[in-house]
Amino acid sequence: MNMPAAQPADGERHAAVLVRDVDMDFGNGPLAVQSASFSLEAGRFLTILGPSGSGKTTLLRMIAGFQKPSRGQILIGGKASDAVAPHKRTIGMVFQKLALFPHMTVNENVAFPLKMRRFNPKDIPERVARYLDLVRLGGYGTRRIHELSGGQQQRVAIARALVFEPDLLLLDEPLAALDRKLREEMQLEFRRIQKELGVTTINVTHDQREALVVSDEIIVMDQGRIQQHADPVAMYRKPASPFVANFIGVSSFLKGEVTETGLSVNGFSCAGTLPRNMSLGSVAQGAIRAEQIRISATAADLASCDTTLQGTVTDTIFEGERLLYFVAVPGLATALQIYHHDPLGHAPHDRGAAVTIGWNARDLLIFPPQNM
Amino acid sequence: MISQSQRITIWTLVWIALLTLSLPTIVVLGASFTSGNIIAFPPDGLSLKWYAKLAMARDLQQAFLRSLVVSLICTAVALPVGTLAGLALSRFRLRYEGAIQVYLLLPFTVPLIGSGIGLMLVFGEWRVLGSLWPVGVACAVINLPFIVWSVSSSAVLLDPDLELAAQSCGAGRVQTFLHVTLPAVMPGVITGSLLMFILAMNEFLVSLLLTDARTVTLPVQIYNSIRSIITPDLAAVSVVFILIALLAIWLLDKLVGLEVFLKSK
Repeated sequence: MNMPAAQPADGERHAAVLVRDVDMDFGNGPLAVQSASFSLEAGRFLTILGPSGSGKTTLLRMIAGFQKPSRGQILIGGKASDAVAPHKRTIGMVFQKLALFPHMTVNENVAFPLKMRRFNPKDIPERVARYLDLVRLGGYGTRRIHELSGGQQQRVAIARALVFEPDLLLLDEPLAALDRKLREEMQLEFRRIQKELGVTTINVTHDQREALVVSDEIIVMDQGRIQQHADPVAMYRKPASPFVANFIGVSSFLKGEVTETGLSVNGFSCAGTLPRNMSLGSVAQGAIRAEQIRISATAADLASCDTTLQGTVTDTIFEGERLLYFVAVPGLATALQIYHHDPLGHAPHDRGAAVTIGWNARDLLIFPPQNM
Repeated sequence: MISQSQRITIWTLVWIALLTLSLPTIVVLGASFTSGNIIAFPPDGLSLKWYAKLAMARDLQQAFLRSLVVSLICTAVALPVGTLAGLALSRFRLRYEGAIQVYLLLPFTVPLIGSGIGLMLVFGEWRVLGSLWPVGVACAVINLPFIVWSVSSSAVLLDPDLELAAQSCGAGRVQTFLHVTLPAVMPGVITGSLLMFILAMNEFLVSLLLTDARTVTLPVQIYNSIRSIITPDLAAVSVVFILIALLAIWLLDKLVGLEVFLKSK
């Protein structure tokens, strides 16, 4: 794996979280987490993104101290995490199913960490009220948990995790169960609250959109390994591997032989951006984003593209703000996926229509073979 | 939509069921108010004389008090054991979990006469027969599955991360148990305890084997009376029993809510 270093080595000394060569072996097959290393500066919002079974939750639970790494080291605020019992750490956590205390009111839930951490009892009500205001639940303090909506319960869980001013906030996919509208609303809430308090945050999710929206940095994991660690823009524009290109955004993949200008796929010359040290004639895979391919009924419209191909529309999907076309090009193994934004609202290309598609060399990213 | 004939069928079945379930209670209730000298339904005139007799009957009263003591001992023993066992079985991944579950169910599968004789032999060997506490302990042993089930069914509904959440709030193990786990399964604990109390109150066969003339409990005392003559005071005793059961259900509704109780089974 080529893993771009997130920051210079001397930055590690000031890292809020430092994960070094961490393995997790549950003893039933491949390692759940393998050689994970990263560091996170204070005040940053990191999202660990990956499909289910990628090891992201295991990594988070090791950082939380609920599981001990089989190998490697986790430092939080410069101190080894396993030197401190879980309940002595200043880590706030929002759990997958929230794990609110069902027998307590909203106030009691939020006050619980303060009582356990022996805050001055006189200050507790004021502080609870302040954090309920922060999550916009002012006035809900005397409600029971089951009387709240899903979104309100989320807010209680956030307040409970933050009320004792932890050094680190961990979010274990708490938004996964919400419907889309509420999820997007809560994503913005997480971002707002995190920016307001400046608390170092690690979020775990399988939702690539959430990762892009909320994070300062993203780590993509697959099969227990960190695939890439970058900021959202770099992660989207310069995916380190076909896996990342496929997991974030919608991409089409082309496999062919490396040429001077890109790839030769079944005799079609496809202009692309080559990494350094690619030997001519070797087999490589390229990925192109659905929004970087242009589509038109007339070839003349795409004269400025570095590569143009003739194809047939095999499917047209209306997504509201855009159309998704599947275009089959004779000789290419899979149909290419193409997003088409049409603010003027032209009639879409019908299924079976002959179209020209095209792209520019900088948009077809070609990956070194070890990442295939 | 339900048609007219379906409606008639359903209500007929409902009323038959309700009547069958409540008929014995109604009959006993009626019979207890008789002014005659034999147990009969419909009652032969109305009076409270059998309740008055009950108020005078020292043997019945003492048997009732003994039954209360037995029930309290049974509940006191079963409460910690059943709660911890129920929590352990549902909140932790245990080695031999299946075997433990079967072991805890054994009292259900062994006929009461079997466990009764077994307990009698054990307690006899220990030379403790003749006191009340072995009866309470015995009731706790044979009815333990009820409270274990009641607590587990409450506990499995909890979020699997509940204890971790308490830890991340700064609670140690003991605090987590006292402030979070135990209160969260309290509905199951209360339900189970009331069940244990009522079951011990009603327990007949095992009490019969473990009691003697000095320690008879109420069900045994009633049985002894039936063997000589059936008088309406027994109907009155039955009504007292029913009242205790109603009191337990009322308590359950106040403390837990009947809705929760019915769902948990």
